Amino acid sequence: MWPLSESNVASYFKSLTQKPAFLFIIPYFLVLLLLIAYPLYTNFYQSFQTESGLSLENYKNLFKNPLFFKILGNTGIWVAASVGLQFVIGLGLALLLNQPLKGRAIFRGIILVLPWATPDIVAAVAWKWMYNDMYGVFNDILVRLGLINTYLPWLGQPNLAKLAVIIANVWKGFPISAMLYLAALQTVPKDLYEAGSIDGVSTWQKFRFITLPLISPFILTTVMLTVMWTINYFPLIFTMTGGGPANATDTLVTFAYRKAFRFMDFSGSAALSTFTFLVILVFAVVYTRYLLREEEK
Amino acid sequence: MRKIKIWILYLVLSIIALIVAFPFIWLVITSLKTYPDIYHFPIIYWPSEVTWEHYGYVIRLDFLRYFLNSLVIGIGTAVLTIVIAALPSYAFGRLSFRGKRPLLLSILVCQMFPQVTFVIPFFVIFRRLGLINTHLGMMISYLPFTTPIGIWILRNFFQGIPGELEEAAMIDGCTPIQAFVRVIFPLAIPGIAAVAIYAFIFAWGELMFALSYLPSQEMQTIPAFLTLFVGQYQTRWGPLFAGSVIASLPPLIAFIFFQRQFISGLTGGAIKQ
Repeated sequence: MWPLSESNVASYFKSLTQKPAFLFIIPYFLVLLLLIAYPLYTNFYQSFQTESGLSLENYKNLFKNPLFFKILGNTGIWVAASVGLQFVIGLGLALLLNQPLKGRAIFRGIILVLPWATPDIVAAVAWKWMYNDMYGVFNDILVRLGLINTYLPWLGQPNLAKLAVIIANVWKGFPISAMLYLAALQTVPKDLYEAGSIDGVSTWQKFRFITLPLISPFILTTVMLTVMWTINYFPLIFTMTGGGPANATDTLVTFAYRKAFRFMDFSGSAALSTFTFLVILVFAVVYTRYLLREEEK
Repeated sequence: MRKIKIWILYLVLSIIALIVAFPFIWLVITSLKTYPDIYHFPIIYWPSEVTWEHYGYVIRLDFLRYFLNSLVIGIGTAVLTIVIAALPSYAFGRLSFRGKRPLLLSILVCQMFPQVTFVIPFFVIFRRLGLINTHLGMMISYLPFTTPIGIWILRNFFQGIPGELEEAAMIDGCTPIQAFVRVIFPLAIPGIAAVAIYAFIFAWGELMFALSYLPSQEMQTIPAFLTLFVGQYQTRWGPLFAGSVIASLPPLIAFIFFQRQFISGLTGGAIKQ
């Protein structure tokens, strides 16, 4: 390629275009460049924009705002609880639905597909109505079961509202985790279990010493993806509580959205979403390094 | 002993299925209740009389138009995603070339960007190009989210197709592109169906962009239309739920028909390195 002369460049491009791989990649490259890199660049640029030119002002304002730290904490709780529960429930259901059973497809269809295929906004309003303090079925069922004595204002009280949006999110999100775990379980060779049965190994031991080690890379990938999706997940909270009461359910993305569209603070919103991206990037870098190290082994 | 175990498994799965399906069942039941039944204290589980008034109400509010808007955007996004994703995923699955690894990693990176990061940049770009308030603009805005996953899923399908097939085609005089179009592409139809459904469902349910780029009422999609019934202090549950039930039908029908391809395509695609 060097030194850069006209004939050099021309022959370089010629050699590229003769390779079909390059032609095949072009469409993805264009999407990457025009629809991902360019918007991200403008967002990044905007995050430094102030009335007096480019500066770190927007970021300073962000970190000076006590609300920011509250929302950071909210996001932490929202992600940890949602991802943790989706991991436990997803893996448990994947194990159950992996059992040979007549009519398994029907159970898989209802349990794994229904919540996921429901549009976000539909899921959000359905849960919002179930949580209604007077006419909501959630309170009624809990009282009938004797779990609570009086009707609770699920979306009206800060801590309850946090719990409420997490439950709804787990309902909406666990099927994808379960599907990924189910696929992982299918990669475990069956003869390993048979060998275990001959040696008289218990079900728990089979899970602990055969299944778990073999699917642990898949678990890591799934948890990683769920973390990213959960940090970025917007419509459920936006519709159910709008971030309230008193910002109790506000996360980084709902706050960034309202900053832009309710308060017209576009640069502040850009700074916040850039920060959110950096948070996710930290997770991704740790994960990628782990993956690369595993591959070298 | 074994029989008892199986019955316990059935019982457990049935209870779980009921709990999981309950929010949706409740949605359907509520949409068929009259207002006195909806606001009955203490609540009643089964409607005292079944009514279709809420369905009639939303349909009179031009629901069909929003339904068609969503359909156009959903199908358009699916088609564009496949057209754009097919060739790159073939290259990723089959060919070796310089920079393949970083480009593959870029697909993972695309999962990291909050959608909210794109809202304002796209708004600025679309306004400049005259794409605000157009369905084409909506389809384009969904491509950064549907194409990377689409490539990931399809790549997996192409990897599963034996390489001798296109070698044979090329010996018979096909160019690589012809071999791809005539021989390989038809074999990847299940994967393509999975990608199409993923893209369709993403576009069908998307809310943030739809609220931001479609200011005029007659271009709106169903999710944006449904938010009209959610007030800060009062929500009109009847029409909201009738609309929600109708809005859930296309994704559910798509899933029922393509469940197998979808699950195998998605799970294989998301996990294999």
